[in-house]
Amino acid sequence: MCGILAVLGIADHSQVKRSRIIELSRRLRHRGPDWSGLHHHQDCYLSHQRLAIVDPTSGDQPLYNEDKTVVVTVNGEIYNHKELREKLKSHKFKTASDCEVIAHLYEEHGEDFVNLLDGMFSFVLLDTRDNSFIAARDAIGITPLYIGWGPDGSTWFASEMKALSDDCERFMSFLPGHIYSSKNGGLRRWYNPPWYLEHTPSAPYEPLVLRKAFEKAVVKRLMTDVPFGVLLSGGLDSSLVASVASRYMADSEAACQWGSQLHTFCIGLKGSPDLGAAREVANYLGTRHHEFTFTVQEGIDALEEVIYHIETYDVTTIRASTPMFLMSRKIKSLGVKMVLSGEGADEIFGGYLYFHKAPNKEEFHQETCRKIKALHLYDCLRANKSTSAWGVEARVPFLDKEFINVAMGIDPEWKMIRPDLGRIEKWILRNAFDDEQNPYLPKHILYRQKEQFSDGVGYSWIDGLKDHANQQVTDSMLANASFVYPENTPTTKEGYHYRTIFERFFPKNPARSTVPGGPSVACSTAKAVEWDAAWSKNLDPSGRAALGVHVAAYEETKAASGSPSVNGSFE
Amino acid sequence: MCGILAVLGCSDDCQAKRVRVLELSRRLKHRGPDWSGLYQHGDCYLSHQRLAIIDPASGDQPLFNEDKKIVVTVNGEIYNHEKLRSLLPNHNFQTGSDCDVIAHLYEEYGENFVDMLDGMFSFVLLDTRDNSFLAARDAIGITSLYIGWGLDGSVWISSELKGLNDECEHFEAFPPGHLYSSKTEALRRWYNPSWFSEAIPSAPYDPLVLRQAFENAVIKRLMTDVPFGVLLSGGLDSSLVASITARHLAGTKAAKQWGAQLHSFCVGLEGSPDLKAAKEVADYLGTLHHEFHFTVQDGIDAIEDVIYHIETYDVTTIRASTPMFLMSRKIKSLGVKMVLSGEGADEIFGGYLYFHKAPNKEEFHRETCHKIKALHQYDCLRANKATSAWGLEARIPFLDKEFLNVAMNIDPEWKMVKPDEGRIEKWILRKAFDDEKRPYLPKHILYRQKEQFSDGVGYSWIDGLKAHAELHVTDKMMLNATHIFPHNTPKTKEAYYYRMIFERFFPQNSATLTVPGGASVACSTAAAVEWDASWSKNLDPSGRAAIGVHNSGYETKHLPNAVANGNLKTDIMVMGVSAQELTIRG
Repeated sequence: MCGILAVLGIADHSQVKRSRIIELSRRLRHRGPDWSGLHHHQDCYLSHQRLAIVDPTSGDQPLYNEDKTVVVTVNGEIYNHKELREKLKSHKFKTASDCEVIAHLYEEHGEDFVNLLDGMFSFVLLDTRDNSFIAARDAIGITPLYIGWGPDGSTWFASEMKALSDDCERFMSFLPGHIYSSKNGGLRRWYNPPWYLEHTPSAPYEPLVLRKAFEKAVVKRLMTDVPFGVLLSGGLDSSLVASVASRYMADSEAACQWGSQLHTFCIGLKGSPDLGAAREVANYLGTRHHEFTFTVQEGIDALEEVIYHIETYDVTTIRASTPMFLMSRKIKSLGVKMVLSGEGADEIFGGYLYFHKAPNKEEFHQETCRKIKALHLYDCLRANKSTSAWGVEARVPFLDKEFINVAMGIDPEWKMIRPDLGRIEKWILRNAFDDEQNPYLPKHILYRQKEQFSDGVGYSWIDGLKDHANQQVTDSMLANASFVYPENTPTTKEGYHYRTIFERFFPKNPARSTVPGGPSVACSTAKAVEWDAAWSKNLDPSGRAALGVHVAAYEETKAASGSPSVNGSFE
Repeated sequence: MCGILAVLGCSDDCQAKRVRVLELSRRLKHRGPDWSGLYQHGDCYLSHQRLAIIDPASGDQPLFNEDKKIVVTVNGEIYNHEKLRSLLPNHNFQTGSDCDVIAHLYEEYGENFVDMLDGMFSFVLLDTRDNSFLAARDAIGITSLYIGWGLDGSVWISSELKGLNDECEHFEAFPPGHLYSSKTEALRRWYNPSWFSEAIPSAPYDPLVLRQAFENAVIKRLMTDVPFGVLLSGGLDSSLVASITARHLAGTKAAKQWGAQLHSFCVGLEGSPDLKAAKEVADYLGTLHHEFHFTVQDGIDAIEDVIYHIETYDVTTIRASTPMFLMSRKIKSLGVKMVLSGEGADEIFGGYLYFHKAPNKEEFHRETCHKIKALHQYDCLRANKATSAWGLEARIPFLDKEFLNVAMNIDPEWKMVKPDEGRIEKWILRKAFDDEKRPYLPKHILYRQKEQFSDGVGYSWIDGLKAHAELHVTDKMMLNATHIFPHNTPKTKEAYYYRMIFERFFPQNSATLTVPGGASVACSTAAAVEWDASWSKNLDPSGRAAIGVHNSGYETKHLPNAVANGNLKTDIMVMGVSAQELTIRG
């Protein structure tokens, strides 16, 4: 990842302002520790903090077109950049950076090129010929981006809120799949896949088509000039990523430079379920596996930093971000700059336990659509910012545009959980990789149910957080919560504790509004809470509430087959 | 490098205090990006930000003795840790970290073990049995350390000023070679080499002894479990470091893990003298050489960040730190975590041009002693903090304790600059490595005079800085400078500009006092300004002023190449002002 900050149409362009922008840009340096660049043109500043993954020697930013009239600052990876370069035969490229195509595509196609990009990205492009600019964010919002407005009429864009929150009067999260153009002064959506309308699709389930689509999504993400690895929790999603990556790694350019043994990484409290599960998968795949353990105290000590980096007060996101944040530091210290990660599968396939209660396929499908659209506020936010805090880049193959089109075109009847037919959650994904001859994973791993959310790192993690919050937040504080925090009022002491930390770093009203709220059970959207009358009475943000459903709905034995987690977490 | 912060006896052990200590410790995170640790015992906190160089897998800190009664947080490298371990056969070590020995040595020897450590270090050790503690800093102050006192009676010790300046009522630089013990509540010097008294030594100059001592100093610094390299400006000092490293790399453990080809690094403005000189040396030695170019604008944009990191307003230090700071970021981005660097030789051997004017060997020697004692405020500060800003560690072989003993024991007559005998500055060092059969460096490099200070990165760098400061500091501001900054009043607009930035980051009076000041010509101490009456009228901090001296002092034919073939001016006053006289370097 990199960090970008752009300020356009600023009233004052003195040296003082330049220093201020350099200072603000430094707040994003963790995202791009390798180099920084600042382009200044009249009343516009484009700054960049670079993490060098592709073309480390010459790809410093900002990037330009041939005559330097078009300037672009980009955070992201364009996986199809070689193919796009091919189509721009008349253009001269100055670097080997994957992001340089953006300036040239703009010259060729004007503002309508964004959908040609296959990757994750946020960028700001300045056309110095007429001082117009555009900004865009990738389809799902894998990379973070914020937009803000200064009292002097300036428009601001930043990879993280901390770079613009102090200087903007108003700001908000830049909507994923959107483009902002200074010419028409507004945001419009450039990402228009068929699933976006939430109509129930009808394509039949073809295991091989789904498998192929995912394999392609992983393979294109092996593009790198630096050492990389896979985050492996031992659950289905990360194990599939690791399996596919290790299978195709030998053919990749990266393997020629850094060796063909895949590095895998896992974190947990000592003896946690994830550590055991990941080790099993790593042994099976023969990866070079690295285990990191942390203590509850280390996690608690990191909370403030996590909230500063992740920029949320959402309880599940903070719980899950903390171990990922700690692990990223260790990964970086080994010299690894990029990791593949398994986010997105639970949203696309309805992998959360509460999906067991979906009343019909239409509701099931709509819920998956809503979950994907909200990913940028939850798991994408976590995956991107926890890793970027230490200059590690996370790539997310499940959120490949083409893979989503395939997976979201399948008749959702196939995704429904049908214990009577032996179909557990994410069955179509499991089945797609159930290859008898050349197994991707051993059957028991392919079909195992894993810990939900943060329980995997160790059962005492969430309990430790709750205990800690109980010591910090008194009953009377919680009683007054609705007065102190009228918006998204915290309903638990843990939520209250995180909120006070967040407010300290980001005290402005608009900051609060970038974080989602509303009722939820086990990570559901507010709409899905209606699936079970009992849920609205017990809004626990963790997966544990849904486990009750699990046990209640089916045989006790079925739930227990998932893992020992039921014993540990079912209080 | 790592970053340490210790708060002792703060009479507050609540969660809020813990959170505050964590927050302050994060200000040192750049020094140790790899992991952090916090140990709390009652109202004592020892925190650590780690850069893992030795034993990356298990050496997380703080470190403990066997029964965890003694806790220590260390920034540094103990080069003789294996030998020290063997002196402690009845101790069980929990990690492979070189710093692990400190807790065990304390158990064995009490407070009197510091001189046994060979390396660069700052540490705080807490004995939980009686809640006593001690803190110490290496002999020369290669690692940075500050000590402060809180209103609540707490003692604070931190690798950088920024870790404690907001919490302490008073703070100061922790003097190098000293030890602070809570039992006596006082600082005392543990470092007592013979040269410290500044008596004039009389040992004869033996080239091979000097060579051997320096080779040993370099070799012991090749101890690492991670990729490393050498900073190579192409001058004598860094070229010698590179040459010896390249020669001895093959036999080391590091070479087995990371390959036997040495990486070397150089920074400069495009086309600068250093880039060219370094390339020549790198080609000769066959190193894998990396050149980094920066623009004057890149440098100016970094100034605030540099001052925040280096924690000084000293003009020459800031000028020289900026390219080093930029280069360190690039080096780190290549995955390199440690570099060897050539600081210290100019102090030990009197390499600055103003030494040409030393009136006699006694004055010459005393000036070298003063310079070495002040290194922690200048070049050590720069080398340590410019690299640590990006999680890179700099090791300084010229400041090896044993090498210093050898070099500072030689009769200073040998160090005197004697154009009539063909001895230019640092001649005894050059001569020591003048090996006809197996040359360390080609003769013309071994005996060449290089750009002083920051001119090597490109002549327009300093001029660019001055021009920039000119835009931001008005004449009116200068008129009031003595009133605004009564202590160490800035005398130039450039100095004023740096001072404003420094005061913004470190507004406390104590902070201002940590930075040295006083009269200086071309990096001399105040005492040496008296060597030439004309100097006191023209206190230019750069090396350019001394060149004028150079010219007026000797015949042109005695001048070293770099100086001789230019259009030297006799007018000292204009030195370093226009681009014109810079051509002397061409």
